[in-house]
Amino acid sequence: MSAGHVLFTILFVCALGFFAANIQRLIGELQLGHTDDARWNDLPTRFGNFLRIGIFQEKIFRDSIAGPMHAAIFWGFGILTLGTIEFLLGGVIPGFSFQPYFIAPVYAFFALNQDVWAALVIAAVGMALFRRLTKRVKRLQGAETHPNDPLLILSWIAALMITMFAYEAFEMVAHPETLTPMLRPISFGVAMAFSWMSPSAAAVAHDLAWWTHGLLVLGFLNYLPYSKHLHVVASLPNVFLSNTSGPGPKGVMKPMDLEGDLEVFGAKDVTDLSWKSLLDGFACTECGRCTSVCPAHTTGKLLSPRKIMINVRERLESYAHAADKSTVADRTLLDGYITEEELWSCTSCGACVQECPVSIDQLSVIMELRRNLVLGESRFPEEVMPAFESMEQRGSPWAFDPGDRGKWAEGMNIPTMAEMAERGERPEVLYWVGCMGSFDDRAKKTTVAFAQIMQASGVKFAILGQEEKCNGDPARRMGNEYLYQMLAKDNIETLDKYGVRTIVTACPHCFHQIGNEFPQFGGNYDVVHHSTFIESLLAQGRVPIVQELHGPVRTFTYHDSCYLGRYNDVYDAPRETLRRALPVINLVEMPRSKDKGLCCGAGGGRMFMEETVGKRINVERAEEALATGADAIAVACPFCMTMMADSVTSRDANVQVYDIAEVVAGQLRT
Amino acid sequence: MKIAVCIKRVPDMDVRFKIGANGTSVDEAGLKFDISDFDGYAVEAALQIKEKANAGEVVVISLGADNVQETLRKAMSMGADRAVQLKHDAPVFDSFAIATALAAELSTGGYDLVMFGRMSIDTANQATGTMVAELLGLPIITAISKLDFDGGTVKARRELEGSYELVECPLPAIVTIDEGIARPRYPSLKGIMAAKKKPLETKPAQVGEQRYTLDKMELPAERAAGRIVGEGKDAVPELVRLLKEEAKVL
Amino acid sequence: MSNIFAFAETRGGELRRAALEAVTAARQTADQIGGEVRVLIAGAPGIAVHAAKLAAHGADIVLVVEHDAFTHYNPEALASTLAAGLANNYRAAFFSASAQGKDLAPRVAAKLKVGLASDVTEFAFSGDAVVAKHPGYTGKIVQTLTLKATPAIISLRPGAVLPKESPKAGTVQNIPSAGDPAASRVVVTDTVVGGGAKLDLGEAPVIISGGRGLKEAANFTLVEDLAAAFGNAAVGATRAVTDEGWRPHSDQIGQTGRLVSPDLYVACGISGAIQHLAGMRTSKTIVAINKDKEAPIFKIADYGIVGDVLEILPVLTEAVKAAKQGA
Repeated sequence: MSAGHVLFTILFVCALGFFAANIQRLIGELQLGHTDDARWNDLPTRFGNFLRIGIFQEKIFRDSIAGPMHAAIFWGFGILTLGTIEFLLGGVIPGFSFQPYFIAPVYAFFALNQDVWAALVIAAVGMALFRRLTKRVKRLQGAETHPNDPLLILSWIAALMITMFAYEAFEMVAHPETLTPMLRPISFGVAMAFSWMSPSAAAVAHDLAWWTHGLLVLGFLNYLPYSKHLHVVASLPNVFLSNTSGPGPKGVMKPMDLEGDLEVFGAKDVTDLSWKSLLDGFACTECGRCTSVCPAHTTGKLLSPRKIMINVRERLESYAHAADKSTVADRTLLDGYITEEELWSCTSCGACVQECPVSIDQLSVIMELRRNLVLGESRFPEEVMPAFESMEQRGSPWAFDPGDRGKWAEGMNIPTMAEMAERGERPEVLYWVGCMGSFDDRAKKTTVAFAQIMQASGVKFAILGQEEKCNGDPARRMGNEYLYQMLAKDNIETLDKYGVRTIVTACPHCFHQIGNEFPQFGGNYDVVHHSTFIESLLAQGRVPIVQELHGPVRTFTYHDSCYLGRYNDVYDAPRETLRRALPVINLVEMPRSKDKGLCCGAGGGRMFMEETVGKRINVERAEEALATGADAIAVACPFCMTMMADSVTSRDANVQVYDIAEVVAGQLRT
Repeated sequence: MKIAVCIKRVPDMDVRFKIGANGTSVDEAGLKFDISDFDGYAVEAALQIKEKANAGEVVVISLGADNVQETLRKAMSMGADRAVQLKHDAPVFDSFAIATALAAELSTGGYDLVMFGRMSIDTANQATGTMVAELLGLPIITAISKLDFDGGTVKARRELEGSYELVECPLPAIVTIDEGIARPRYPSLKGIMAAKKKPLETKPAQVGEQRYTLDKMELPAERAAGRIVGEGKDAVPELVRLLKEEAKVL
Repeated sequence: MSNIFAFAETRGGELRRAALEAVTAARQTADQIGGEVRVLIAGAPGIAVHAAKLAAHGADIVLVVEHDAFTHYNPEALASTLAAGLANNYRAAFFSASAQGKDLAPRVAAKLKVGLASDVTEFAFSGDAVVAKHPGYTGKIVQTLTLKATPAIISLRPGAVLPKESPKAGTVQNIPSAGDPAASRVVVTDTVVGGGAKLDLGEAPVIISGGRGLKEAANFTLVEDLAAAFGNAAVGATRAVTDEGWRPHSDQIGQTGRLVSPDLYVACGISGAIQHLAGMRTSKTIVAINKDKEAPIFKIADYGIVGDVLEILPVLTEAVKAAKQGA
């Protein structure tokens, strides 16, 4: 055993020890957060996510340019790690190689891959540097980012690859008898270029390249914990532990225990967040995909979901590194790093969460901070107050007489649950109308249309009438968990009183809330959105619609609701409903549609807030819709209806906005 | 400054009321109750005075059956320090009878300032605060939209029809609060939790003799269904006539 | 025979319409149940000049209190003077439920320890009782009260009794203030009439509000003109309009803006989205002008005109100006 091997062994052990100590430190930092957030349920789904999103880079490929580039580096890293293990063992054990342990073709395949992937990695790194330095891709910029860190890391990776080729090539020059041009064609090419060197000089060059590579590997390992490129270590565990693609329904908010003696409401600082949100901070590599799809950010608001995650990590580091916590007590995550204005800009559309390649949940941080603002400090935009008060007083965010809730149904011969119960009957489904559907004149047209479709299709349904209350979604998304739970529990009591099983609703917010979040309080129902319901009625041939084709072909574009689409993966039902109702329809898609759909701007309680900064989101969306050339825009959400109708009609009076139910009802045989 | 705020529990007004079986009450089924609007402004104004001075005490007082305790807790969840319920189970309509009971309580409190909403939004008499002032011999400024202090002097702005007056009086005094002074804060959950532990004292109310009787409550004649007066500018004369003669707003 | 009293409200030395309404109510009562109508007017020296107009509306006797300390409203001195006078054989006393009357009437009632009927829209004397109607619950319930004590103190909702001439002698009697009016603790230091300041949406009795039907920011001058014609009107706007930047956000009426409840709300080119209706539907009288006769605003409007708001507004402005001058 040479002195070199002894030295390397010592360095290797030290580096591993140092790395282990750093990982332990980081785990300690994660434990500063709330640790009661177990993530070991439903392992099959988690392994599935791990493979799909982690290993196979599903979300990375959503960007068709950066996708292959990153995949090359990622997969390259995975494959090269095997080579690195061989390299490291070779540094410790003289003459070590995998070769004797495998049959020749396997080792040949391994060696070939090392060479090819290293070349791909160099190409991808070159492209990444080009995107950062020359092309200056917009989403990679941003005041909150650390622009030098990626340059260092990318150069480091390139150096690793180059030194690898160098020691392989010089090995070939020094020992021509070992030449394996077919196994390492690129190294061979490099070797050819240096074939003029004497074997002894090449041996020195080899040792130099080998040691440089070795030190770079050990250094890289230990630089990661101090860099945003901790992402290399944290991402795969993060994907596995995340809930953003399941297990369970997406986008649900965690219930707060309001009975207990809470010291902090929601989160004011990183120590109030779940450990998983802190891991999200470690997993973030500042790629900016979240921010580039954020409807608030892209229309000029202050919010950047990337900044939220960077702030989480920065604050965690500053807090964890301070020996005396009182010295950093003043600059809490909320206010010290993240402002109120950023938080209130969020529409909770979930685009950031959908887009994140490593399954970070930016939204839950925003929501926890909002909870602190509202529950702890009663800080919120003043225009929200009437909505809160009205939800509390009248069970609807708008100050309408609760007695008028069922008024739209007058003369339609629609029974209430109370009336049915009195007759000892039970409906097939409960039609949950929602506040917009009950009180807003435009949305009431949708309500009536859907009721007509069900009546024409022979669906036996009932409504709750004035017993229905707001499901609490706006309150919960605006951070008012107290008000939300009050409403949720009231509604569950009413639903259970009538033994309701199946609920159908035309509002995606009611749909998501009742179906996915009421179970937190013991309310378990089958909730169906009207798009799915109508589509199945149409498929079963239960809806008596006019079949003959007449009139001009109409061009529709469908605007996806976030709570229907991204939150619940209902993308096809509304489109299919349109196709079935209008057999000659020309359905065109906006550039941002389905899971890339742009929010209308009303979610997350934004419906009840002013939008004064930047371009209005609904205008942005209306322009996108109008640019398709469609003569009608279809929606499947009363909030989207308001936002789209508002912005579309002022821009092009000839384009109409319809709910899908209205389109179907228009085709009913009279 | 030691401040008392007298508040009333009233139903939410954004509903269609039904008259109770006795004909002199509102059918309370399904109604939600809260602090009367102007009283809420008064509580907020009182809290702001205390917060600005960083000293003092805000006591909320309400007369009524035990359900007013919920209203008092709400005021304490906003930040009032303690509460007094003047217990009286039967409804009292006459401002003077209510003022008698409140004056009896306030006279012993040693308050520097007593605040009321300018009126309760249910019975809407706008008299109780003034009558309490007369009973206690304290100066009162009513329906103010701005409030300042200059040493021991209250400086207030009172809104009139299309104008306003600037009014002063010495402390101790009573003021009644109009809207515009301060929007009541939304109680935080922290405040709601804290309010559960704040003192709420219940005493029998010494309600005075009622000066009048409430004979009847009734719903006003149904607002005539809206109608289209006409089309285009030719309809203007008829509209103006209606505004003048029927709606009496011109 | 008991007499009937009326308080003649003044501001800045000018007689207010509220005074004439109170005198007319007193006159009608006296004509029905007998007694003299005695009207008190207080002010700086020279206020007696208004006696003739009070006489023309039915005052038998005009009690005049002149003192420099009455230049501004002097509630404590007035209340004492009125209470002292009303102790002498009056059946009833009428005030206006104006800002001043609502301050003064309960002071007097409390001093006399008698009942007060506030903000009365209808009243009737029968035997020893007065039956009065008083709207409460933001106008959603009418309360009927019976006052038995004498004198019955009644403050009349402005407009409930319209001033009517009924000339009587109106003999002027100068009387002193009870106590020293300069010694009042409550002192009005200034009365800013009109003030020139923009009327606040929350306080304005009339609101003229514009929506997207106005088509562009410049057309808001039509709305402002109409508001000016009313004199006591403020200008509001819908969220769509403030979002477009045609008007400042502080003008917005609706769920996310101001919640208002004026006596008259004129919606110009407003279709009536839920967000807007939530902020103004409790207005006492609603007028809507909109070209789409299906617009939801017509469902809650008392009076509607279907048509082009740009064409109708100037005509309406002229008509309101004419009506105001005639009144």
